[in-house]
Amino acid sequence: MLRHLLHPKPHTALAAVVALALGCAAPAARATTLVLYAAQHEQTVDQVVKAFTKETGIDVKVRTGEPPELASELLKEGASSPADVFFTANSPELTLLSENGRLAKVDPATLARVPPQYNSPTGDWIGVLARVNVLVFNTSKIKASALPASLLDLAKPEWKGKLAVAPTDADFLPLVAAVVAEKGRPAALAWLKGLRRNAMIFDDNEGVAAAVERGAAAVGIANNYYLPRLAVEKGADKMHSTMYYFGHGDVGALVNISGAGILKSSRRQAEAQKFLAFLVSTPVQQMLAKADVTFEYPLVAGVAANPALKPFDELQPPKLSIQQLSDDRDSAKLLREAGLI
Amino acid sequence: MARAAVATARGGGLARPRHGRPPAALVGAAGFAAALVLLPVAFTILQATQVSLHDAIDLLVRPLVGLLLVNTLSLIAATTVAAAIIGTAAAWCVERTALPGRRAWAVLAAVPLAVPPFISSYAWVSISNGFQDFAGAFLVVTFAYYPLVYLPVAAALRGLDPALEETARSLGQSPWGSFRRVVLPQLRPALLGGMLLVALDTLVEFGAFALLRFRTFTTELYAQYRTGLDGPDSSLLAVVLVALCLLCLVTEVRVRGHARYARVGGGARRVAVPLALGWARWPIVGAFAALIVLTLGVPLGTIGFWLLQHAQAATSPVVPSPALLARATLASVGLGAAGSAAAVALALPLAYLATRYLGTWVTVLERIAYLAQGVPGIVIALALISLTVEAVRPLYQSAALLVITYAILFLPLALVSVRATIAQVQRRLEETGRSLGLGWFAVVRRVLLPLAGPGLGAAAAMVFVAVVTELTSTLLLAPIGTRTLATQVWANTSSLAFAAAAPFAAMMLLISLASTWLLARRFGAAAFPRLG
Amino acid sequence: MAELRIAGLMKSFRGHPVLRGVDLEVPTGELVAILGASGSGKTTLLRLLSGFEHADGGTIEVDGKVLSGPGVHVPPEQRRIGYVAQEGALFPHLSVEGNVLFGLPAAMRRERARTGALLELVGLPAAYASRPPHELSGGEQQRVALARALAPNPRIVLLDEPFSALDAGARVETRETVVAALATAGATALLVTHDQSEALSIGQRVAVLRDGALVQVAAPRTLYRRPVDAELAQFVGEAVLLAGIVSGRQVDCALGRLTLEVALPDGAAEVLVRPEQIRLTPDPDAGAVCARVADVTYYGHDASVTLRLAGREQILVARVSGHQAPRPGEAVGLAVEGAVMAYAPRAAHSCPATPSRKGSGRSKEHIAFYSPSPCGRG
Repeated sequence: MLRHLLHPKPHTALAAVVALALGCAAPAARATTLVLYAAQHEQTVDQVVKAFTKETGIDVKVRTGEPPELASELLKEGASSPADVFFTANSPELTLLSENGRLAKVDPATLARVPPQYNSPTGDWIGVLARVNVLVFNTSKIKASALPASLLDLAKPEWKGKLAVAPTDADFLPLVAAVVAEKGRPAALAWLKGLRRNAMIFDDNEGVAAAVERGAAAVGIANNYYLPRLAVEKGADKMHSTMYYFGHGDVGALVNISGAGILKSSRRQAEAQKFLAFLVSTPVQQMLAKADVTFEYPLVAGVAANPALKPFDELQPPKLSIQQLSDDRDSAKLLREAGLI
Repeated sequence: MARAAVATARGGGLARPRHGRPPAALVGAAGFAAALVLLPVAFTILQATQVSLHDAIDLLVRPLVGLLLVNTLSLIAATTVAAAIIGTAAAWCVERTALPGRRAWAVLAAVPLAVPPFISSYAWVSISNGFQDFAGAFLVVTFAYYPLVYLPVAAALRGLDPALEETARSLGQSPWGSFRRVVLPQLRPALLGGMLLVALDTLVEFGAFALLRFRTFTTELYAQYRTGLDGPDSSLLAVVLVALCLLCLVTEVRVRGHARYARVGGGARRVAVPLALGWARWPIVGAFAALIVLTLGVPLGTIGFWLLQHAQAATSPVVPSPALLARATLASVGLGAAGSAAAVALALPLAYLATRYLGTWVTVLERIAYLAQGVPGIVIALALISLTVEAVRPLYQSAALLVITYAILFLPLALVSVRATIAQVQRRLEETGRSLGLGWFAVVRRVLLPLAGPGLGAAAAMVFVAVVTELTSTLLLAPIGTRTLATQVWANTSSLAFAAAAPFAAMMLLISLASTWLLARRFGAAAFPRLG
Repeated sequence: MAELRIAGLMKSFRGHPVLRGVDLEVPTGELVAILGASGSGKTTLLRLLSGFEHADGGTIEVDGKVLSGPGVHVPPEQRRIGYVAQEGALFPHLSVEGNVLFGLPAAMRRERARTGALLELVGLPAAYASRPPHELSGGEQQRVALARALAPNPRIVLLDEPFSALDAGARVETRETVVAALATAGATALLVTHDQSEALSIGQRVAVLRDGALVQVAAPRTLYRRPVDAELAQFVGEAVLLAGIVSGRQVDCALGRLTLEVALPDGAAEVLVRPEQIRLTPDPDAGAVCARVADVTYYGHDASVTLRLAGREQILVARVSGHQAPRPGEAVGLAVEGAVMAYAPRAAHSCPATPSRKGSGRSKEHIAFYSPSPCGRG
């Protein structure tokens, strides 16, 4: 090799350079390296992964992306997928993989850590964190008393030009599925068309939260953790906006489950099980709840949520099962029909 | 920078090509390069044709496409006009007036090209969210791309005989009249060509618009990919985008190709007498200073500001550390080196063929290679992902695929410099080599490559800068665990974690500016190698 | 057309003086050739006149109106001074017609008939109107440039080396056409050139510019016959310079006793003889100046003969008509036709025909040197 580098022929020199790049890209594999497909917030994933490696000595390589993006990739990759574990922000993608027989059974002891309504009914994935949909609103643009009782009201003409939504954010798709489940497809389509007329469109919920905060929109549909994070960044006293929780089982108060599953094709099942168990261990759940990073609800009993959030048991989510929210891809089609994407 | 260099240097050459049969290996290698460029485009078109006509009409005639067209076209209209005005005014002031410090302004006005647009959009967005949407997109794109007008127009002005303007003055035209009736018509090829490049770059830009939350075709393709909707429908959208790009590219080639006015007469030409500006001098200096502050000061200043801020763990997907920064830098530099080597290797057989042989096929192969200029990175990347996951599994998610993508994307950039370099090597020297008993490959290795070495190095350096500042393909194709400077900046800025993005952005800007500066110095020296 | 008056015109570039006080008056309708070597400041003079450059001092007046002077600088477009650049500088994006009509107001630009008349003035067919400039020859381009300059009826026309880029044949033809066109238009014109024969043949007067100042402004004949100094004599034609002694209206030198064209105080002088003034006679009479032919350069219509004066190192050149050219080695007698110029001797110069003078004392040798060389056979 050294001789080649000293007297490089064009092709060996090129090969050496490529090898160098590959070397940077893929550090030499140690004893075990787990491949994690993560469609959760990078900072949350980073926190968990670091703690896991520290505790077990198992390295984790992370591929990040949006839930539908990674789910679609996993399906395409099939049995030869490099992934061992899929950790995602919303349950529909896990249900999709489960229905396609791509997930392995989770250790019963791990499943038992989380209340059963937040896990896969077939036991092939576990819930890790919960998040709730809210309306973020700019306090100088609109009074709390003027806020709508239902998410569906936002399609009404009086909200024209006041609303911000991010239809391509992965968090929006389950909301569409929930409206379909409760009101039927035609009503959902009509609602989405109403949103298209009324709303400013953003790429993601970070954009929605930022737009409401700067007053470009009065209200915005987003999950519950964007505003607390913005408050950490800006300082809570400088915030112009706050959160409104829908009540009375309105579809707008939809709770989503962020969960994880193990790929059947994984050749590191034992390590993968270890990772899932780690995710729902009390110390990890406490770490996620306490640090001002995640702002999601831990699902393990006895771990309290971040005080910046409305307590979990005070939420009034719609009565919908995980199965009813199973297919994001139909939601995406509906968005397209409504002209939102 | 890439596109300006490609546009101003495309075509031409000194060694006269001849008819004859090129060696099969050479044609094979050149054909391979052309095939690589065609592959993703053909795949995208093929995928799009899977949509039935009825569905296709439904998909194309929907409000979203209308919105994207309105967004894209109105932005293009605004930016090309603004870039034309800023670029031409700056070029004219620098080339034709007694502007104080004009040499320095001339250089500074071109530097914004070395600042990747998504870095400047990061800078603007981090100052205020108000710079989002159309206003921000307009600002960032105009400031990023006006040098694409400024550079060719300045070059055209330098090449313009000042006697023409003086004659117009002596015939009763005011300075403005002589500019309008004499100078402007002759700047037209450079000006229109530059404007079309601005339009083309606006069409293919992704990162800046994503950060500014301005919806265009590229951001929509990315959004569809993220929502798991990539497939024939997306390909259809991609085909619309590619068609728009190719329209710009073809028009640009025609504008530059046909409308070039030959200077009448020959011989030595006087340097223009700089116009005395009088009291207008200081307002114009002020305008230049403002331009530089807006285009360079703001990105550098904001990055500097954010470097001093503490990155909040809550909002920072990637909390920077020296180790992370080093890893990302190494990854970017490694990929840059590999990408530039691959692009130059791909360009070499094409360049040799194009400078040494004549024929329809040679022209076709060369044109195909330049086609890559008009295909947005996001289209190439998405096509290659689908292609490898379905058909070439070993390449899927590999660093090799990313390097190949860079080679395709920056083949035109490499080809322009490599071609110019190879064209300068006299064929007599090669023939002498042959007469001394060397085979053609030995001649290439022992005569051509050593002579072309510095030029090839410059080509590689240009591609290197382009790769290091590339975002779209890197984002989509980086293998698991590979984080480059671009993807780290992206991860943080797309979550508005500006402080956390700053170290990566600063490093990227440093590499880009330093490499460009070194390149300019080397190029300056290499442009006149035989005078000493 | 108008009268031009230039007084004390000065211009420096970066502290380096290019024009050091130029005075010139050109009456209405006259064509003056400005003759100068490269770097003499002649182009700068034109550029000051047209207003492309600001003068540092002095005034430019046309018809009594100051165009350039202390605190005054009329911009080029208001001067009504036409300008023909070195290579014509035709606008490449316009046809011949577009070029010719360029300086006219928009309304007049629509009168196509004007083009034909202007083209005819410079000797080009009207059919050229629609051609693009790059299809014209160099000479034709110059004529179009002149037509363009004349179209708005300027007060003065300036031509900057208009023929220098043309080949010999086109040069003569274009020169004649241009001079004729200027005469027809009755234009007051200044033409800059570095070619002395061009200046002499074109100008009604020739102004010679040297180191930023006009050394002589005169009719061509006067300039050639009576240049104000030896250097100028060399510049406006070939010159044989000999050392001589003036006494009264006559001067003694190696070519004998010659009559002076212009009086000079008695004493040592430098004598200017034009080569064509020297007559060669095949049979040198006794008493005539004798020489031997060293070399002959034959041009056809004439020949340049290098001569070595008998008994001396002295070499000089004569120009004789082609059919009278002698052969090398022949002995010839020399006579000078007409009066000659003489100048007070310069401190130091490169003329080989004049010995350098050391000290003020005059030796016998010197006196002997000033006497003609008698013919000796053998």
